[in-house]
Amino acid sequence: MSRMLKLIQNEQGKIFIRKSTWIMYIILAVLILGSALLTNSLDGLKSEYDEDNWREELKQENAQLQKETEEYEDFEEYNNSVIAKNNYYLENDIQPAPYTAWTFVDENISLLSIVSLLTIIIAAGIVANEFRWGTIKLLLIRPISRSGILLSKYITVLLFALYTALFALVLMWIFGAIFFGIGDWNPSIVVEGEDGFKTISLIANIFTSFGFKLVNLVMMATFAFMISAVFRNSSLAIGVAIFLMMGASSIVSFFADKEWAKYILFAHTDLSQYMDGNFLMLEDNTMGFSIAVLVVYYAIFMLLSWIVFTKRDVAGQ
Amino acid sequence: MSSAAMELVNLKKTIGKKEIIKGLSFSIPKGEVFGFIGPNGAGKTTTIRMMVGLMSITEGDVLIQGNSIKSNFKDAVREVGAIVENPEMYPFLTGWQNLKHYARMMPGVTKERIHEVVKFIGLEKAINEKVGRYSLGMRQRLGIAQALLHNPSVLILDEPTNGLDPAGIREIRDHIRKLAQEENVAIIISSHLLSEIEQMCDRIGVIKNGEIIKIQNVGEETDNEEVIHHIEVTPMDKAMKILNENFQLESIELDGNLSFRCKKEQVPEVVKSLVENDCDIYQVNVAKGTLEDQFFELIGENTIE
Repeated sequence: MSRMLKLIQNEQGKIFIRKSTWIMYIILAVLILGSALLTNSLDGLKSEYDEDNWREELKQENAQLQKETEEYEDFEEYNNSVIAKNNYYLENDIQPAPYTAWTFVDENISLLSIVSLLTIIIAAGIVANEFRWGTIKLLLIRPISRSGILLSKYITVLLFALYTALFALVLMWIFGAIFFGIGDWNPSIVVEGEDGFKTISLIANIFTSFGFKLVNLVMMATFAFMISAVFRNSSLAIGVAIFLMMGASSIVSFFADKEWAKYILFAHTDLSQYMDGNFLMLEDNTMGFSIAVLVVYYAIFMLLSWIVFTKRDVAGQ
Repeated sequence: MSSAAMELVNLKKTIGKKEIIKGLSFSIPKGEVFGFIGPNGAGKTTTIRMMVGLMSITEGDVLIQGNSIKSNFKDAVREVGAIVENPEMYPFLTGWQNLKHYARMMPGVTKERIHEVVKFIGLEKAINEKVGRYSLGMRQRLGIAQALLHNPSVLILDEPTNGLDPAGIREIRDHIRKLAQEENVAIIISSHLLSEIEQMCDRIGVIKNGEIIKIQNVGEETDNEEVIHHIEVTPMDKAMKILNENFQLESIELDGNLSFRCKKEQVPEVVKSLVENDCDIYQVNVAKGTLEDQFFELIGENTIE
């Protein structure tokens, strides 16, 4: 066990001693900061509601949206949902929560896709680079099984994904706190569920989204890791994984009418589709089926990585 | 049998339908330096890769201190230190960090041991520099250091003098002899530099097309075989006559020297006789490089089949 910890220490060291890793973190931070600046500059996104006249403001907002819809029909769907939400506030006499760090995190949770990107780059390189550097030979002639080496690398990828995601989350909150304030420590928001609007805890909502994002993150990382271990080529692993990640929803919608579309991995990687107020990737998706599909794909990725890495000869380039 | 540090038992490797290694069998005792030579594509590197478990073995086995690399990989490989092909290290780590990295992968390698190895291989000055800035010779040394960390009983070095300057080559050669003699390490050196092998090894195996075609002890032939000697002597024709009449030796004039074939034990008598007959001797040489001649005789051309 202590040997495994040392192997993981080695792998972590090799990731963080390289400048490229730190540049990735800087890019991540800059993008989060940019998002915060953008939100800050667009007043409409973070409208404040005064204690006294928030009812008036909501009514005014509704009227304005109504007018906008008449002019531009494209906005109808979105505007109507905002109007419906505003009406819910008015009917139940709830003052809309102010825009705070929590709101910022909740609205920008999709920035975690950048973490997926970074994790893919790390996962794609962690096996393939050893082959590229030629160091794989020195790595595999130690009294450690090949499975042990591969496991240490896989755990390293998962750890990287986890703390990079946490880093992004914390950074979002910090930038949010700087620009929009912390506000209430247990804020709530109104979301549209299956049976109309309801009030839920914002923090709970953030962590649910975060959990679902982690599932996606682990699947993409495992996929890139598998390509890396099987083909021993990091560019291929990065390219294929990023292409599939970016094109996931287009791929699913392109094949949506096919019977086998429900077996496509990307129809299921985003489990947040089952959260209130979100659209399903495929009409008859259920959470249980999605989890089953994810488990099967995960098992296939792991098996392929392990079998190929432990069995194949390490020959010259 | 038990003194063999490494033993190859009818080792075979087939890739596709092609038999790359066709049944190698030999053993290397502790403390021996074994030279492994052959032309490109003969199967040297494939054999070495099988010895350390990087490639699977189609048939036969490799035993290291009696442990099979196939069925008991961990115990077998624990006794091996190796450089396979080039000494490739992490370029973004320093020499020290590289060694530390590999030390973490093996039980019982202390910080003191790393210092000891670095000192032994003469890399103290450069050890805290990034390997990316190392010359090939420095990387070669670091490669050897890495292979020695865990006190292996078998050391496998692929072209260890590659990229070293003459002084470095001599130094590495001394290290290798010292490891074999003092630490009783069995050392396998693959090389195409025959002169190197000749000076470093106790025994040489010649491989061609996946087969060992000859295993020979180095230095053995000079004692009881006839070897060509060159003598710089004046007057030449008088000396030639003495050799012919007193020793029945055929001699010819070659580049201002008198060349003839005789056993080593005859040389003192020949010299004595020449001196007694007022011939002036400037130098006596033994024609070396016999191994190289033999090598090309065995291998023929340096072809890949």
